[in-house]
Amino acid sequence: MTVEKMLANYEFEQWLYKEAQLLDDIDFDAWFNLMHKSLSYQMPVRVNKEGTERPDYAEDMFCFDDDIALLKLRVDRLKTDYAWAEIPPSRTRRFVSNVKLETYVPEHKASVNSYLLLYRSRSTDIHHDIISGERRDEFIYENGAWKLSKRVFIVDQTTINTRNLAIFV
Amino acid sequence: MLKTVKDIEDMTKSELIEHLNETVKPDEGSIPAFVIADPKIYDLEHRKVFMKTWIFIGHETEIPNKNDYMLRDLAGYSIIVSRNADMSIRAFYNMCTHRGMKLCRADKGNKSAFVCPYHGFNFKNNGDLIGVPLQKSIYGEELDKSTMGLTEVRIESYKGLLFGTWNEEAEPLDDFLGDFKWYLDILVGRAEMEVIGVPQRFVIHSNWKIGADNFVGDSYHTMVTHGSIAKLGMVPSATYSKMGYQIHSDHGHGLNLGTPNPDFAFPEELIDEYKANLTEEQFEVLSTLKNMIGNIFPHLSFLISHTKVKGQLISNTTVRLWRPIDHDKMEVIAWFLVEKNASEDWKRRSRESFVLTFSPSGIFEQDDTEVFTDITAAAKGPMPVMKQLTYNYTMGMHREPVDFIGPGVAYDDKFSEANQRNFYKYWLELMNS
Repeated sequence: MTVEKMLANYEFEQWLYKEAQLLDDIDFDAWFNLMHKSLSYQMPVRVNKEGTERPDYAEDMFCFDDDIALLKLRVDRLKTDYAWAEIPPSRTRRFVSNVKLETYVPEHKASVNSYLLLYRSRSTDIHHDIISGERRDEFIYENGAWKLSKRVFIVDQTTINTRNLAIFV
Repeated sequence: MLKTVKDIEDMTKSELIEHLNETVKPDEGSIPAFVIADPKIYDLEHRKVFMKTWIFIGHETEIPNKNDYMLRDLAGYSIIVSRNADMSIRAFYNMCTHRGMKLCRADKGNKSAFVCPYHGFNFKNNGDLIGVPLQKSIYGEELDKSTMGLTEVRIESYKGLLFGTWNEEAEPLDDFLGDFKWYLDILVGRAEMEVIGVPQRFVIHSNWKIGADNFVGDSYHTMVTHGSIAKLGMVPSATYSKMGYQIHSDHGHGLNLGTPNPDFAFPEELIDEYKANLTEEQFEVLSTLKNMIGNIFPHLSFLISHTKVKGQLISNTTVRLWRPIDHDKMEVIAWFLVEKNASEDWKRRSRESFVLTFSPSGIFEQDDTEVFTDITAAAKGPMPVMKQLTYNYTMGMHREPVDFIGPGVAYDDKFSEANQRNFYKYWLELMNS
C-alpha cells in the first residue's frame, strides 16, 4: 500500500467516525450535509440461501431505497412533532471498523467498505437492539469535501430484530 | 369495589374460558386488557384459533416455476410449499418421517427433492419417500416407503393468495372468506398481480392482535399517530382518513375503504384489464378508491395506500402477517404486490412508496410499532386482571349500518370500532370451540 493510499484510508476512517458521531448525537441536518445530491441509499433484504450461492440478499427488495429527496423527507419528518418512533430519540452508538479503501482517485471519487455495529436503546426499556452489517460506500469529491453518493448496507439478519428502522444505518 | 378475580395462573382451562366469556364483551364495546399479553391466553389461542383456521402462507407468484419452493410457517410449524412437475402447488410439514429432522433450511429455491441431513432419506417434492441409503442391506425387504411420505398440509388459494390449515374439518377457504371475497377481488383480483422480491421481515415486541386490530378497524389513529405524513404533504389532511366506509363480514374479517378520490389510484393503462376482472360495482369502488385497509381473520392484514411521493401520486398494494412468536412478540412479514402488466416505471415507484411508507423503515409503519410495543408492555402480568382493566371499543355503537354497493355490514364513515367488535366476537367464538 502506498503512503498516499494509507493517508486516504485514514481520511475515510475519520469521515465515517464523524458521520457516526453526528448520527449518535442526533444532528441529522449536519449528517444530511455529508450526502451528495446523486445519493442512492439502499439496504437490501437479506435472504437465507441453501448453500454458498451469492449474493444472499434480494436485489429487488429493500428496507431502505432512498434518493436524496426521500432521505431529506425522512430528516424533515423527524423534526415534526409527530415522529413518535423517535420521541424520545433512541440512544444509539455506531461502531465503525474494518475500513477498507477499495478504489481511490484523489479529489475525484472513491469506494470504501466498512463494518457497522449499531447499538440501540429506547426509553427505559431494558432490552437493547444490535444491528450489524457491512457498508459498501461510494464517495464523490465536491467543493473540497468528500460526499457520500452511494451506500449499500448489507444487514446480517434476515428478520430485522429491532422494532423499526426509524434510525439510519 | 371490584369483585376479586382469581389469578389467571391459578385458573383451569375451563375457568379461563369462563372468565373470557364474562369479561370479553364485544357487544358492549368492552375488551379486557389481559387478553393482549397473557401467556395462557396465547397458548389457548394457538390451539383454538391458529390450529383451527386458514392461515396465509404466501402468494402463488412467489414460486412461479416447476420445482420452485418456499419455506413458510403454519401456526408455529415449518412447512415446505412447492410447485410440482405438474405445476400444482403442494405443501408438506418440513420434518423427515424417519427421525424428525428438518429437511429444508433455505427461505426459497428450486429443487425437485429434499434430502434429510441426518440419515439421507430422500423425499420428492410431491411428498413421496424415494430413497433410503443402504435400504436393502439394512432393512431387507421390510421397509414400506409408501407409508413414509411427508405429512401433507391442506392448502387452498383465492386469487393467488395461498392459505393452509392443520384442521381437516375447517370449512372450505371459499366459505371462510365468504362475502369478504368481493373486496379481496379489488385487492388482489383486479388484475394479474405478482409479488416482487422477498417479503420484509422484522420483529416487534408486541402481541399479534394489536396489529390485526389496528388494520381491521382503526382508521381513527391515523390523525395522530401518522400526523407527520399530513405535515409533509403526502396526504391531503389529517382528517382525510375519516372519509369512506367501514365494512365487516362473518368470521371476523373487516376493512376500511377510503373514498372518494379525485384521482385514479392505479395505472390508467390497465383500465380494460380491471374491467375484465371486476364486476361493474367493484370497478366503481376501485375508480374512487383512496385507500383500503383491512384484516383477514386472524392475522393477515392488507393495504392499498395512495400517497404523494416527490410530488407524484402513486399507490402500493401489500399484505402482511402478524406472525405470533410469543405472547408479547411477533414477526411482521410484509409482501409487496403489483400489477404484472404495469409499466416498469410504475412498478419501481410503487415499490419505492412501499419501502418509504410501510417497510421496517416506513414512515407510517415505524410510528405504529412504537404504539404496539407500549400497549403490550402495559397489558402484561397480574395487575390488569386484578384491577379488571378494559379497553373501550364503543365508537360508532350509536350508528346504524348503511346500504352499500358491496356485501357485508357497512358504516358510512371509517371512524368506528364496529370492525374490532366483530373481530373479537369471532375470536371469542373460536376460543370457546
